[in-house]
Amino acid sequence: MTAAIVVGVLVAGGVWFLAQPGLLRVIFGFVLLGHGVNVLILASGGLDRRGAPFVGEGVEDVAAAADPLPQAFVLTAVVIAFGVTVYLLGLLRAESTAGDDSDDDSQDDVEAGP
Amino acid sequence: MLLALGVLTAMAVLSPVLARRGCGRELGYLLAASFLGVAAVIAAQVPRILDGGTVETSVEWLPSLGVTFALRLDGLSSLFALMVLGVGALILAYCPRYLGPQDPHGAVYGLLTLFAAAMLGLVLAADVVLLFVFWEATTFCSFLLLGLAGGKATRPARRALLITAAGGLALLVAVVLLTAVTGSTVISDIVADREVILESPLALPIGALVAFAAFTKSAQVPLHFWLPGAMVAMTPVSAFLHAATMVKAGVYLLMRVSPIFAGLPAWSALLVSVGLTSALWGAFMALRQHDLKAILAHSTVSQLGLLVAAIGVGTSIALAAAMLHTIAHALFKATLFMLIGIIDKEAGSRDIRKLSGLWRVMPVTATMTALAGLSMAGIVPMLGFVSKEYLFQGFFQTDFAPAAGVVAGAIAVAASALTAAYGLRIFYGAFGGTRQPGLYEPSPAFLAPAAVAALTGLLLGPGIDLLNPLVARAGADVVPGQPLAAFEFWHGLSPEIVMSGIAISTGLLLFLRRHHVDRLLDRIAVPDAGAAFDRGHARLISFGYRIGQPDRADGTVNHLVRPLLGALGLALVGFLAVRDLPEVRPSDTAADWVVAGLVALGVAATLATRNTLAALASLGFVGLLMAALFVSAGAPDVALTLVLVEVLTAVVVVWVLRRLPTRLPAVERRRLWGAGMLAIACGLAAASATYALTGRRSASVASEYFLDNAEAATGGTNVVNTILVDFRAMDTLGEAVVLAVVAIGLLALLGPAGGGVAEPRASTQDRDSAAAEVFLQASARLVVPGAALVAAYLLYVGHDAPGGGFIAALVAGAAAAVHQLAHGQLPRWLGPEQLVGCGILVCVGTATLALAMGEAVLAPFKLPGLEVLGVGSALIFDIGVMLMVLGMLVAALDRFGADTRRSDPLKVHP
Repeated sequence: MTAAIVVGVLVAGGVWFLAQPGLLRVIFGFVLLGHGVNVLILASGGLDRRGAPFVGEGVEDVAAAADPLPQAFVLTAVVIAFGVTVYLLGLLRAESTAGDDSDDDSQDDVEAGP
Repeated sequence: MLLALGVLTAMAVLSPVLARRGCGRELGYLLAASFLGVAAVIAAQVPRILDGGTVETSVEWLPSLGVTFALRLDGLSSLFALMVLGVGALILAYCPRYLGPQDPHGAVYGLLTLFAAAMLGLVLAADVVLLFVFWEATTFCSFLLLGLAGGKATRPARRALLITAAGGLALLVAVVLLTAVTGSTVISDIVADREVILESPLALPIGALVAFAAFTKSAQVPLHFWLPGAMVAMTPVSAFLHAATMVKAGVYLLMRVSPIFAGLPAWSALLVSVGLTSALWGAFMALRQHDLKAILAHSTVSQLGLLVAAIGVGTSIALAAAMLHTIAHALFKATLFMLIGIIDKEAGSRDIRKLSGLWRVMPVTATMTALAGLSMAGIVPMLGFVSKEYLFQGFFQTDFAPAAGVVAGAIAVAASALTAAYGLRIFYGAFGGTRQPGLYEPSPAFLAPAAVAALTGLLLGPGIDLLNPLVARAGADVVPGQPLAAFEFWHGLSPEIVMSGIAISTGLLLFLRRHHVDRLLDRIAVPDAGAAFDRGHARLISFGYRIGQPDRADGTVNHLVRPLLGALGLALVGFLAVRDLPEVRPSDTAADWVVAGLVALGVAATLATRNTLAALASLGFVGLLMAALFVSAGAPDVALTLVLVEVLTAVVVVWVLRRLPTRLPAVERRRLWGAGMLAIACGLAAASATYALTGRRSASVASEYFLDNAEAATGGTNVVNTILVDFRAMDTLGEAVVLAVVAIGLLALLGPAGGGVAEPRASTQDRDSAAAEVFLQASARLVVPGAALVAAYLLYVGHDAPGGGFIAALVAGAAAAVHQLAHGQLPRWLGPEQLVGCGILVCVGTATLALAMGEAVLAPFKLPGLEVLGVGSALIFDIGVMLMVLGMLVAALDRFGADTRRSDPLKVHP
């Protein structure tokens, strides 16, 4: 239940930003949407078993271990989402530099310079 | 035969080189000689063919599809092959005198020869797939040769390409269907399976598709209009491709499949009606033209129509007459085109209203034109006379409907009458009337090829016995089981002679009354199929433009909202379709509710503010809550990764935000409402999907497999990490490469490196910031090596404890960020390109090494000598991943940081 609420809130927040003009808002929206989807993927493994998925000596209860596969997915997803965020920031940066150079604010949804 | 094709292709490839290296336009003679050589090779096989044999050769091509590069020389093939090569040799011998010194000789000769090779392949192909490939190759050559005519050829070339390529697609479908029905791609096998094809429900579509393909290539009404348009090409191209050979490819195809479909009333009705309509329409249109080439183009449509109709009749006489007429037409049409090219060159015009009296200045040219024209009109003693007589005889055998034979015969006579009339029109228009001054007979070398063709047409009439054996053999290929009586030059007073007489006298009458006829013709409005085609084409293009219009918007909203709406649609489907869910397994703890509440608070705070920094702080808060959630859900690796990502995001964002406004721009209220509605709908959909589809089952099979087998299979105890670097290593490689691509994208996006330009921070004026810098640099001296050590440790233990390549890279990236903050630049030896490149090399190297050791790609293996340390290939692979991720981070830090300094000119140039 809590997972559903968290996913709903994060997705709603993400979509709110995505549906508005401006690259910075898109970045915010993308970050929130990414969080929401990560929680969804993690929840798909089930949240009733919450042991860290380590095996070997000293681990008593493997049956309580959480599903490792969604965790692997989410781990790469986090890094990839970071990469995409950085790239979007790069676009934002290039856009703002170009806007300053040419004083061209004709694009209606550019985060125009001051 | 392979040799023959090979020689032609090699000549085509060499032509541009030879043309540039001194041969120039004289290259045509060399090519003509090589054509004759190839023709001799094929002619040498003819005796064997005449004895009823065939020559076959094949090379394996696509064994998995059962397609071979198989060539087969039988009667029909040799007839067409000799025609292609013979006419080709004449045309190429004509080119040197026709082409100007400035024309693109290499391109013209190369493409003409390439076309000849393709055409030869088409008629020799023993495999339907191969036939299709050569069919398309001829279309392609035709398009390129049209293109040589420059800007005015744009529209005609496009029409020709679209029409003939549509036919090519139809042929492809027919080929696939034929192969599916008969299980073979070999033409002779397919033809032998006649019953199987006719009994299958696909018989009708196959026949229609093949006929359509042939109609496009052979310019049958109503698809004929590309052919007159194609006359913009230079005359040798018109003569070779668009009169003598390429347009005969459709005729050849129909003859090839005739054994399958001949005798079917539908096939016969289709071919005869379309063919005779084209014959009549083409002849009628030819009579309306004033441009000599346009007359000939419409005449070609007309003559091809007669051929198609004769094939539709399907009897052995009709088909043999069609073959004979194919040769006759190739000879007289090539002659006429070459002569008109001469007239055009000498007199500077092709308009019969401007030309006159050339008879007196060019008697030889005029004689040759007369010979070819007589053959076209079917007058004794030309080859065209013999072929037309037998065509008439064939049309009488039309039997798909009662009295069809009489009607077909009558239409053929009418078309012939018009043919005679426009033949006279050509001759009188150019050569009759008063003499034009200042013109001379062209050089013998220019005339010779046309003369050879014209005289061949003259001699083969009485000398029809020379052609008889080969035509009879080809007829046996096409109409099996009906031996053919030899053609006779003169076979007494027969109905055909009477028909010819009617046709010629009517034609003469039309010519004598030409002023009345012309006035009458001008009054008839004629539908322009070409313009209709262009309108349809333009409409199609604008339709496509409208379809794509919404995606041409600059803003992000259009692009992002529509997929979201699609996702909502999917959610709705799921909402309606998903039923009977298992019980929810309780999992919520009190802490979960707290986290959920805080997340809602954080998101609300992010949404509420328009201050960029405040929004970023709230976002960071939400990120840390996520990390807490992951920890409580038993995912320490994910949580660790996320915390590091949040830290690094903050660093990168700060670099970027230095040049951005501190407040988000306002958005109009209407848009906010829309965004809000969409957000709520998506949020509800996501929440209900999460609630409905998760937390309702015990551990998954995959989960149990990984937990049970991770240690035994990989030697690692951190199961998440073993999935990343062992079980699903290929996925990880792909993901790491995505980050490498991001790095490259950043480098490309933000321009050349600026990191190497040392700009000591000490130059900053502010005393406080200088003090802060000293502090930063001092702490960096401690922090950076420490962080690097931590990264190395996390990398090393990753297989068994929280850590791994991704996490180690993020820690190392944080260390690099601290160094950059302190010193204003990254360490010089830390180049993003090198990191990314090394990373890819290490990962791919690990994968290949496993392959070299006989294992699957990326299979784990032990490293000799390092086993004591517990170091295996997984660690090496993880190092590669780390290098790529670090490369991405360094690229971001370097470009964002460097760009800041560079774009602030006051600091760089004080």
